Amino acid sequence: MGDCHYLYGNYMTIKRMTFLQEILKFMGLGGRLHLDWISSAEAQKFVQVVTDFTEKIKSLGPSPLSGELDLTVVEEKCQTIVEAESVEEG
Amino acid sequence: MEEQIKEWPEPFSTTGNKTSTFDNLRDQVNAWLKEGRVDIFLGYKMVQGHPLPHCFTKENPDEADELIVGKARYSLEKMAANIAAQHPEIKIGLLVRDCNQRALNVLYVWNQLNPDHVETININCCPSRLKEHGDCSYLEPQRTGSYKKEVGIDNNMDVEDAEEFSQEERFNRWIYEFEKCIKCYGCRNICPVCFCQECSLEHNDLIATGTVPPEVPIFHLVRAVHMAGRCIDCGLCEDACPVDIPLRLLYRKVNQVVSDMFDYKTGMRADQSPFNILGDEVTLEPKPI
Repeated sequence: MGDCHYLYGNYMTIKRMTFLQEILKFMGLGGRLHLDWISSAEAQKFVQVVTDFTEKIKSLGPSPLSGELDLTVVEEKCQTIVEAESVEEG
Repeated sequence: MEEQIKEWPEPFSTTGNKTSTFDNLRDQVNAWLKEGRVDIFLGYKMVQGHPLPHCFTKENPDEADELIVGKARYSLEKMAANIAAQHPEIKIGLLVRDCNQRALNVLYVWNQLNPDHVETININCCPSRLKEHGDCSYLEPQRTGSYKKEVGIDNNMDVEDAEEFSQEERFNRWIYEFEKCIKCYGCRNICPVCFCQECSLEHNDLIATGTVPPEVPIFHLVRAVHMAGRCIDCGLCEDACPVDIPLRLLYRKVNQVVSDMFDYKTGMRADQSPFNILGDEVTLEPKPI
């Protein structure tokens, strides 16, 4: 912290990133955003972080936001509820 | 309705020994306008059977007899901020509930209003069993239908309950809610603390304008991020939303994060939210992968 080339850039970044991580987690996209401090002299650390994070992302699978949204689960539940209600009403 | 109002108990301190609270309120506004304590007063007036926000002026102080208080809520402080932007020296009086007061604090903090030019009259709002009634459109929670409970998010839910779903379920439920959005901008337009002249939600490079539905979930998350350290939990956005998206819950979470991370209680503080301060007092560390 404080070693940033842009003086206070990382102070601002960590606030925003931590906040964003929390919000994404809240709405079900947790774990897909990562922040690390790596200086331009730390090539090995860079490789390590990128490799680890790539592995994590792979294990999480494709983002639910990619491609078409799958609402079949919603449709099925809707159907069940409609049926249940029509039974109740006779 | 006015007859009924006159029987209400006294919600604020009175000067005379009149029997009707409502007359006192009206007299007070009338006097303020006449003696020049305020130039205009923002309150509510019944127009063709609808309680609408109204600007009472010193040119016509006797109109204050038509001032009413009821469940209707509008962002009077937002109107005040807009008026003040045009006429910086004008002295504005307005009716405030607790939520209005918090919004006013935020507007003061962000230099949208000058507290020296604002006079307020508090009105009854927060519910209590000791009171006969509260004047707020939000007091009785709406009932949530079975379908929404099953696949979406119940608007009456607590943040903690909403976090109990599994990650995948949370995602599906929120997307179900966001997908209903018809991009009416009602949440932004009613919001008392939304005052930016240029809004990211209408910026072509950030969020495509002119298409419906909006990009999900970017549209809602951008607004949520902007509510951090600003939202005063008045619930007007949710009142305004035609498709019942649980916005208040989302913004509560946002503010909870701000409160946990920075110990910043929105609407209670005289300094701006830590998102906009360059100070180096953060003790946060990057999270492990």
